[in-house]
Amino acid sequence: MIPTTRRAFLSGGALAGFAALLPAPALAQGKAHIVVLGGGFAGATCARALRRANPRFDVTLVEPNAIFTACPFSNAVIAGLRAIEAQRFGYDAIRNDGIAVVAEQATAVDAQARRVTLRGGGTLDYDRLVLAPGIAIRWNELPGYDEAAAAVMPHAWLAGDQTLLLRRQLDAMADGGTVVITAPANPFRCPPGPYERASLIAYYLKKAKPRSKLIVLDAKDNFSKQRLFQNAWQQLYPELIEWVSLSNGGKVVSVDAKTRTLVTDFATYKADIANVIPPQRAAAIAQIAGVADGTGWCPIDPVTFESRLQRNIHVIGDAAIAGAIPKSAFAANAEAKVCAVAIAVLLQGETPAPPKLINTCYSLVAPDYGISIAGVYHPAGGQLADVEGAGGVSPIDAPADFRALEAAYAEAWFRTITAETFG
Amino acid sequence: MPPLRGHDPAEIVAAMQAFRSGERPSTVMGRIAKGFSDDETRAIAAWLAAQR
Repeated sequence: MIPTTRRAFLSGGALAGFAALLPAPALAQGKAHIVVLGGGFAGATCARALRRANPRFDVTLVEPNAIFTACPFSNAVIAGLRAIEAQRFGYDAIRNDGIAVVAEQATAVDAQARRVTLRGGGTLDYDRLVLAPGIAIRWNELPGYDEAAAAVMPHAWLAGDQTLLLRRQLDAMADGGTVVITAPANPFRCPPGPYERASLIAYYLKKAKPRSKLIVLDAKDNFSKQRLFQNAWQQLYPELIEWVSLSNGGKVVSVDAKTRTLVTDFATYKADIANVIPPQRAAAIAQIAGVADGTGWCPIDPVTFESRLQRNIHVIGDAAIAGAIPKSAFAANAEAKVCAVAIAVLLQGETPAPPKLINTCYSLVAPDYGISIAGVYHPAGGQLADVEGAGGVSPIDAPADFRALEAAYAEAWFRTITAETFG
Repeated sequence: MPPLRGHDPAEIVAAMQAFRSGERPSTVMGRIAKGFSDDETRAIAAWLAAQR
């Protein structure tokens, strides 16, 4: 997958094998302590990849939740097609890899002292720190949308209780109801996610509550896999889904949770269910550590994922500004491996080779109708850029068996990545 | 999807080239294979072949 990985893995292995023969500084580096904050697809993958890159590394994974709830496929839970249990993963296998898993919240990072402070008062000293904190909601960025409002108008953009809340609301809604989804401006976690969600909710409504309506109010004029989604909507859910673009007045400027009302510059929408996918930023610890910039996200070096703002701190996954690479679980996993190998190489005093990364995002439009977007990326001009001529979306005119195959591959991908990350 | 670990590297290289040219039909592999040169494809194949 990543050609440079091979060399780095081999040299990492050689370092481990012959550590006793190496001069003192290299020996010390072999015992390096690497702390990873965040046990999602990025952080958990990175912790394991670090141990593979150099089995002598001491790796600590800091994650306050004992159980991880995965976002990919959580739209199927919302649509009643899948149990939430299928989204849940623990950290036992990661512990068994010799990684110290600390179930605490990190509350401070001292980049000068290279020290992490935990909520309980304990500290962790590191040689390198990997931040994989994921996203936080920007509360009140959309006026009226705060934590209390989310209990009525779920975002369901962090999987778990919010996912189940939206599921329950759909279950309870009477036939003939109106569901409104609001989609944010770029960048945000999982660019095709709002549209997959609209598709699968429409699938549920068509079956269970066919007189209902679904409106997507969008702060954008374009979205990921747009033609494929719109083509499928016309085919599968005509009259059911209405997408209102930015130019057509789709940008929501305020919400009122008490009345489940959403206000745009041109109209007021009264919803039976309002799923507000709000503006986002890197999670709080990124700000605390000083690795987030004015955008709320974290600029990184495209070869090593080291922060551009703090030395010895790397940022991977949704929190990072990864150029053309979207904020996806697939990308988080790829970034984690590149970052782990880069750290192993850097700690040997060497220079990591430029990586190549792959992303593939599958979306389900219906249980047997999958579509995908793929990309290959490399560092160019200080950013991660598309490799020209590679990547792209599923064909617009593909037959039904192609769509069914991509739906099956979507599930296979989820099984594979979760097994690799947590299994 | 068949696991790639331990596969003959020559087979992997040939498959990647066939995906890239479109000679071998695929859903997503053609789009991905286009992002890698022959040298890179050989490095990937050698790495995969070495995995167990």
